[in-house]
Amino acid sequence: MKHLLAALAIFAALPAQAETVAIINARVWTMTAETPIENATIVARDGAIVSVAAGGAAPAGARLIDAAGRIVTPGLVNAATQLGLVEVSGARETNDQAVASGALGAAFDVQYALNANSTLIAQARADGVTEAMVYPAASASAPFQGRGALIHLKPDGDILDRAQAALFVRVGSGSSDKVGGSRAAQWQLIRNALDEARAPQGIDPRERLLGRLDRASLAPVLDRRIPMAIAAERESDIRQAIALAGDYGIRVVILGGAEAWRAKTELAAKRIPVILDPMLNLPYSFDQIGARLDNAALLSNAGVKIAFTVPGAGIHLSYNAGSALREGAGIAVANGLPYAAALRAITRSGAEIWGADDRQGSIAPGKAADLVIWDGDPLEPASGPAVVLIGGREVEDTSRQAALRARYAPGAEKPLPPAYQ
Amino acid sequence: MGGDMKKRGRFRHVALALAVAALFASPAAAKKEARRDAPAAPSDPWPSTYRPLPRADMLITGATVLDGAGGRHDAADVLVRDGRVVAVGRNLDAVGVEVVDGRGKWVTPGIIDVHSHNGTFVVPLTSVDETGSDVTEISDPNAAETWIEHAVNAQDVAFSRALAGGVTTLQILPGSTTIIGGRSVILKNVPAVTMQGMKFPGAPQGVKLACGENPKLFYGGRGGAPNSRQGELAMFRAAFSAAQDYRERTRGNGPKGPRNLELETLAGVLSGDIRVQAHCYRADDMAVMLGLAREFDFRIAAFHHATEAYKIPALLREAGTCAAVWSDWWGFKVEAQDGIRENAPFVDAAGACAMMHSDSPQIGQRLTIEAAKAAGAGRRAGLTLPPETIIRWVTSNPAKAMGLGDRIGTLAPGYNADLVLWSGDPFSIYSHADRVYIDGALAYDRANLAYRPRSDFEIGRTGVSPR
Repeated sequence: MKHLLAALAIFAALPAQAETVAIINARVWTMTAETPIENATIVARDGAIVSVAAGGAAPAGARLIDAAGRIVTPGLVNAATQLGLVEVSGARETNDQAVASGALGAAFDVQYALNANSTLIAQARADGVTEAMVYPAASASAPFQGRGALIHLKPDGDILDRAQAALFVRVGSGSSDKVGGSRAAQWQLIRNALDEARAPQGIDPRERLLGRLDRASLAPVLDRRIPMAIAAERESDIRQAIALAGDYGIRVVILGGAEAWRAKTELAAKRIPVILDPMLNLPYSFDQIGARLDNAALLSNAGVKIAFTVPGAGIHLSYNAGSALREGAGIAVANGLPYAAALRAITRSGAEIWGADDRQGSIAPGKAADLVIWDGDPLEPASGPAVVLIGGREVEDTSRQAALRARYAPGAEKPLPPAYQ
Repeated sequence: MGGDMKKRGRFRHVALALAVAALFASPAAAKKEARRDAPAAPSDPWPSTYRPLPRADMLITGATVLDGAGGRHDAADVLVRDGRVVAVGRNLDAVGVEVVDGRGKWVTPGIIDVHSHNGTFVVPLTSVDETGSDVTEISDPNAAETWIEHAVNAQDVAFSRALAGGVTTLQILPGSTTIIGGRSVILKNVPAVTMQGMKFPGAPQGVKLACGENPKLFYGGRGGAPNSRQGELAMFRAAFSAAQDYRERTRGNGPKGPRNLELETLAGVLSGDIRVQAHCYRADDMAVMLGLAREFDFRIAAFHHATEAYKIPALLREAGTCAAVWSDWWGFKVEAQDGIRENAPFVDAAGACAMMHSDSPQIGQRLTIEAAKAAGAGRRAGLTLPPETIIRWVTSNPAKAMGLGDRIGTLAPGYNADLVLWSGDPFSIYSHADRVYIDGALAYDRANLAYRPRSDFEIGRTGVSPR
């Protein structure tokens, strides 16, 4: 009778979390060590990691997934993307990552626009991305971009993980026209905003530049609950960001940082992380004259926490949010970054920078069972995911590319047109 | 950061909407007709002044050689004399040549980028580029009278970046705002002070055509023509029809009438002297363009971008038209929605000609990685292609599409000794181009600062990374 009930239980509609899964014969990069664990067993229950150990035994009744010696990493964490906000970048009405006018400056909040059904989300998930910081491109009130949200790329339900997770601002030549033409004004406006948010009663309401909403958005920055992410490339702007952090006692994250290597000592000393583009070695603007492929290595070796974001002409930013991240990490390794550090920059570091590391970014007891079994070296662009697990369950590749691939794969000529397949 | 990146990437296609046509306004007649009753045009008023860099005969020994002709030779030697490949094989013997130890390394033909805007889409981009970019002359949707070589900035840092990625030859194309962008040029990737110093001697010119969204969005957005795909095709057909008349008129020994630079280019297409490189994304757009080519009896050498080439590989094969594609750019435009990573391998599997291209100074540094990504996707879809096959996508296939298939892109007797000595498998992200040779001369040496060229732009600036 016990066996019959057990058998019935297996075929009943169990909630996903009730399952115990064991991944065996895995080469696991836990992100808690500098080397992988060989011949490892990862046990997950109720969607969370229970254990990971070399030669560990799989619990009785666990569903086994044989990694067959392949590399397993945590799900990728993209530290800065616009997944969920962008659909067809050339068709503006399909995109929600920016506002050009209206009342919302720092208060602009992308959480309300996240589209879990975006074809880009399905592609990123298939590419092994399980968590991402989604950030706004611009608000109505430069240099403020607005508030970013963490998303968890679950296949069903709400992908919003944490809203208002960081406040984004952008400085530099690319956007200085929006404040009248000088980056000096960008910095003055940021400082003034923090002044107004810090002591609103001390300033005559008629003289305040910030409205109620924008001022409220800065409060969690001032009390260090969330960081201010400053998109800056040029060394002078990075040094301004370091000074800002010191002057206001706020947490700062540099986004971009093409010339961050020139301030690496100070960034390390002030514990300011840098989310950089590991593919950037061309001066697309005069702010990026110092762009170099070993930026990641220089920063990391100096003790700066780094994570990766890959704009790739705006296309990799969201369309290839997973695959480009791996390629960028590989380029960083080819230019001097240690392998473990590169893997960390596309998993744990992004989670840590944005405060999602309680569940994401590493394989350890208590973390989410969001894992990828790779079919080769994950940093080799020719490799890809063999299995992606979220909450301990394999996720199917529901991307449009998979559907088109299946429809148009070379093979015997079919009697009916492709539309029938 | 996202907005800036998007702008720089799509500058020439979208941001150029700010271009002021009035800046370039000139009477159409003056623009298109050089002189009344002009004599026959000189054959090449801008001949190449390229001279090979200093070189010595050499023997590369013991390398894994991918010859670009589908062959892989392990532990093989490559003998080069007078800038040409003499032989590829085992245990080659050559007295008195410089020996380069290739053990543990790979050798491929020099990488060829069939779609580059280096020299015209020049970083840093500034507001100057917003109002007048050299990527394309956009004052009229038909810019057939323009030649991109007249705009090439030889100091573009992107050239030396590409050289460090093994690129020895580039086809510089006009952009795709216009339906006809003008004549393209093929350059050797040698540092030079003038365009002519880079120009590939004797290489055929091409012409850039564009179908689909870009032209109609730009000109239609101004209330002009074309504003539809059918309008673009009508404009093409009118232009080629006029070119047919011009060709008739200027043939033979009678009076030729006024010279028309625009029709001269299109007549060159009709005669087969000028090869057609057409920017198209969608399968149906490509099928229509193949019909245009049929109507006027010319061949399209390659479709560029061709994100839906995988839907019509048989059509491409039958037309003898190549597809120059990305590995993974997709979705950024409505007409790019259906791009898949298996594009090149699916086209290749149907016996059609697949190439990887860059259209980007960033991708232009890693064309072998583009091939690796595409091949990896193909492998996961059940098509396992060996390295000696996929190297063709960035060597011999582009060479053929550019009309230089008998001179570059292959390591075989008589071919130009354009080759790359890689630190390892060229399709691995960890490999580097250790040395790059052009016509048998060392053009780049990763281990020797004296052979790591920097453009004038890079020197004398604080902030530039030290060598």
